[in-house]
Amino acid sequence: MAERAGGPAVGAWILVAGALLLLVVLPLVTLVANALADGAGPLATLASDTAIEAWRHSVLVAAAVTVLAVVGGVVGALVTERTDVRGRTLLRLGMVLPLLVPDFVAGFSWLQAYAPGGLTDDLAGVSLPWLAGPIGVVAVLAAGAVPLVYLVVASGLATRAEPELEQAARASGGGRLVAWRTVTIPLAAPSIAAAAALVMVTSMNAFAIPTLLGTPDGFVTMTTRIYRDLAFAADSEAFSRVLALSVLLAGSTLVVMGLADWLLPRATATRTGAPSSSAAGFRRGSWLPAAPLWLYLAVTTAVPLVAVLLTAVTRGIGLPPVPANWTLDHFGEALSSQFATAIGNTLLLAVLAATGALLLGALVAGLGRRHGGRTLGTAVSASFAVPGTVLAVAVLLAYGGLLRDTLWLVLIAYLAKFWALAHRPIGGAVDLMPSEPMHAARASGAGVTTATRTIMIPMLWSTLAAAWLLVFLFALHEVTMSVLLYGPGSQTMAVLILNLQQLGDPTVTAALAVMLTLLTLLAALPLLARRRLLRRLKWR
Amino acid sequence: MTGRSAALECRGLHLAYDGQPVVTGVALDVLPGESIVLLGPSGSGKTTILSAIAGFIDPIGGEILLGGRTVATAERSVPPEQRRIGVVFQHYALWPHLTAVQTVAYPMHRQGMARSQARAEALVLLERLGLADLADRKPAQLSGGEQQRVGLARAIAREPDLFLFDEPTAHLDTPLRAALQEELAERRARTGIAAVTATHDVAEALAAADRVVLLRDGRVIQVGTPIEVYEQPADLWAARLTGPASALDATLVGDVAVGVEGSGARGEPGDRVLVRPDWASLRGNLTGTVVGVWFRGPHTDYRLATSYGEVEIREAGPPGASVGATIGWQLHRAWLIPAPGS
Amino acid sequence: MTRRLGPMAVLVLALSACGGVASASDPASAAGSETITLYTSTTQETVDALLAAFGEAHPDITVEVFRAPTGEINARIAAEQREGAVRGDVLWLSDPLSIQQYDADGLLREWTPTELDAVPEAYRTERFWGTRLLNVVLIHGADIDPAPVGWADLADPAYADSVAIIDPGFAGSAFGALGYFATSDEFGFDFYRDLAANGADQLSAPDEVVTGVAEGRYAAGITIETPAQAAVANGSPIEVVWPEPGAIAIYSPIAVFEDAANAAGAETFVDFILSEAGQTIIGDSGFQPIREGVEGPPPQGEQVAPDWPAIFGQSDELLEEYRSIFGG
Repeated sequence: MAERAGGPAVGAWILVAGALLLLVVLPLVTLVANALADGAGPLATLASDTAIEAWRHSVLVAAAVTVLAVVGGVVGALVTERTDVRGRTLLRLGMVLPLLVPDFVAGFSWLQAYAPGGLTDDLAGVSLPWLAGPIGVVAVLAAGAVPLVYLVVASGLATRAEPELEQAARASGGGRLVAWRTVTIPLAAPSIAAAAALVMVTSMNAFAIPTLLGTPDGFVTMTTRIYRDLAFAADSEAFSRVLALSVLLAGSTLVVMGLADWLLPRATATRTGAPSSSAAGFRRGSWLPAAPLWLYLAVTTAVPLVAVLLTAVTRGIGLPPVPANWTLDHFGEALSSQFATAIGNTLLLAVLAATGALLLGALVAGLGRRHGGRTLGTAVSASFAVPGTVLAVAVLLAYGGLLRDTLWLVLIAYLAKFWALAHRPIGGAVDLMPSEPMHAARASGAGVTTATRTIMIPMLWSTLAAAWLLVFLFALHEVTMSVLLYGPGSQTMAVLILNLQQLGDPTVTAALAVMLTLLTLLAALPLLARRRLLRRLKWR
Repeated sequence: MTGRSAALECRGLHLAYDGQPVVTGVALDVLPGESIVLLGPSGSGKTTILSAIAGFIDPIGGEILLGGRTVATAERSVPPEQRRIGVVFQHYALWPHLTAVQTVAYPMHRQGMARSQARAEALVLLERLGLADLADRKPAQLSGGEQQRVGLARAIAREPDLFLFDEPTAHLDTPLRAALQEELAERRARTGIAAVTATHDVAEALAAADRVVLLRDGRVIQVGTPIEVYEQPADLWAARLTGPASALDATLVGDVAVGVEGSGARGEPGDRVLVRPDWASLRGNLTGTVVGVWFRGPHTDYRLATSYGEVEIREAGPPGASVGATIGWQLHRAWLIPAPGS
Repeated sequence: MTRRLGPMAVLVLALSACGGVASASDPASAAGSETITLYTSTTQETVDALLAAFGEAHPDITVEVFRAPTGEINARIAAEQREGAVRGDVLWLSDPLSIQQYDADGLLREWTPTELDAVPEAYRTERFWGTRLLNVVLIHGADIDPAPVGWADLADPAYADSVAIIDPGFAGSAFGALGYFATSDEFGFDFYRDLAANGADQLSAPDEVVTGVAEGRYAAGITIETPAQAAVANGSPIEVVWPEPGAIAIYSPIAVFEDAANAAGAETFVDFILSEAGQTIIGDSGFQPIREGVEGPPPQGEQVAPDWPAIFGQSDELLEEYRSIFGG
């Protein structure tokens, strides 16, 4: 039912198209143009062993991480949404908390906890020597991806009609596990598949963890190869390789996204039972199903974070982390002048990016199903799929001449990347919103703009707030693009920590990491406190 | 808006949804003060027609006139906010973030009324509908019936020239249903504003309508007064739609020598006649076997198997025969159902 | 129906406004002051201390710093050249070989610093001057027995798979060390071949080697003396050894870019670094000052160095040969 486009819609369309052009299309075209203009160089580097190896590593890591994360996320979702486990609310929170730890802090924290010379080595003589290397990269990436899968699948399970359908399966003679296998999981397949696609793409584009855990072992992925070639190499062959790998990485990601879009059923849930209320029908049950989950969370998140904290307060490297060796000096060192600038940059960028992305995302969502609106929406989503590394290179090529070393360059990259992050939840909420409240407003005498302003936006308020916070948090953590685009005076905290970490002294790095994680936790409090907000962030 | 122009006129209206035609060639007119009911099963297009009248969708053919003025054609249409219509929605469509009084004041604001004045007038309106105590409550704190009445107040606040009711009682519990229907009838009587109601509930349609429009698959099957569509339905389907109906072999009429109304005279072999439950009674010369007995409270329904087909008969009072018994019955009246295609 | 901004939101907005506005704007727009841009691989603490003192002595000059490992600075300059013009004013690296490559490309400005005499001739040319000496030494875990005493000991099977060295492509100090080992008669490239055969690991920064040895992941390593001594002072269980035949003394050169936007300010800065005030701060930071008579950590033994002028121009070959042994 295409409604005739009105005046405001045309204006919005132009704005959106223009922003898309400037933020995404122009940089990417510049990148491809540069790659082509460079002659046979990029093509030759693509055929080189270096490039092929990097590509192979990226794909293998992505595949392994996806499998592990899906298993972990689905198990977690089943436990919190489909069992009578006790402490459900806390467990839900726990499953999502790892998302608050920036990935470079996560990688760093695992090293501090489990690497030779780390916390477990100090306490029990036990360590994981394979942590620096492909297995470590996969393990830490998977641990960080489980919350993503969990969020998507759990919210899918919580809002669909399975309780009744499952009860039907149990009434027909199946046990709980059978019911899960034959009813719940097949019905959740669209959510699971969507989550898998998301994880596949984010792992292929992952940068911080492969840098921290892969590079020391010589294990190189496409993103770390591009970073090393751009930031550390000065010869033209390296630059050609940067162009070639950027295009290859973007292409691989788009292929995965395209396949996912094509294979995934576009079904909207057909409700065949009564809407479920998640609290209904569960006795205060046992802790048992939750135990493995809590153990998993302890190993993957709690222990590493404790290790980081201990490193931050221990006087010297190599000393046992006992209270006798504790000091706050490293925090003092961390609070140098660089820190003040970096935190200011980080916060300003995060606020601007969140607000900008929200406006852009709302505009696209508002266009919705109108002429060309859907195309624009797809284009915006596609831009999220462009790997951060590639986007940074592209933005650098397109605008580096004008804006190098300024925060604006970084902001452009952030907006291009996070636009889709804001648009998806808003678009999803707009889609789900029944048309009747808006119709009622029109029938009561309100024009389109007035109705949107007085009715639609207030009704979507919690989604808008959640989307803003989501982009804000992602921007706080962002390192992949920032590390390629920063200059003197435009460092962010993430870049600062990554650079310090690479210098090799973990003590000050740990102090900064602790501070950044605390900051993120503070910022995320509103999101966590209102579970309603979390539910708004359904991905598909 | 006075004069002899119809409150609403639809001419050859064609509507589509997602590219598929859902309403074809519908013609309607509603005189000022008249109550028209669109009666039909779900999917018959009645809600779609209301949406078109309101301006939420545009026609792909034909035109719509409100008060003699064209408001929609296939080329252009007047937006909903400029049509003087009051809509009451099936699912109430209240705004979750506004209280009852704010909701009712909303249309008044849109007409430029000042905030305080709008609030005062909204309170008066709520009072009239018995909702004064609920003025500062949000929809989540209101029951279904209360929500529907707030929606009604909102539509009234618009001071429309035409009301559109989309299945207004469909989602209410039975006792509330009757109460709301009474209220709507009373309002209509008092204000004399024309209304178009869409419903699948026959009882509601027959009670509320000045004229009933039977819709099937997007086409108008019959237009008539309630009595006309009940006693003289256009075909078998219409007959079944408008009430309990038994279709018996036409030879029955010859045997019984009862006056039959309907097109043509006696009818041919193979034709059917409509018999409503109150057009036959027990005890008589005809025989039949009781195959079902349903006690309804004020009356009892019997289904008899006869040589002319199965007939449903309604008698006042508790059951007087049991299943399996052979009893006599008689026919008072019948209506010849035109064969398909005639 | 508006929600009030929570206190957190207000705090965030306020902080970001304070911190961000300053950095988002063009650095040169501050009224009345000039700016110079410094590219350096010196440690952050040293830079901070020097800038504080410089700011007091020359309050009208603001210094924008890009501090990164040598390899990253090289990449940055290369990128800027690709875009048309180098944006830095002052270049301060950790080893002479790296900066000489820029000299050979004509990127450095020729002028005479006021404090020229403070720099011994062996540690300067017409376009770059040493500011301090980085002593590349040997470190080992406190409990390692037997402990290595000379460079050659690192190839001993006793330390198989347990030695850490630094990648010369990343850190200037390692590049300087490469210059020494490769061209000395005593060691040559066989030194590196032996290390590789013994399973030595290549890390990216001097601090990483210190951390690795302190945490017990490596038995021994080659790194700069300053961070190692700092760790010892903090109580880390490592020991610093001035190996036979001597620690490799690498001078850390400073220069002004030929196309510097603010050449005058840049020269002022260089003069400050070479002055007594600047050299004192460098000494306090734990580095051996180039200027005689200024207090700093004394050498703990013999020092060796390659014939820098002789090997200027061989940088590419040296690195290539090294890469064939250690990869990366």
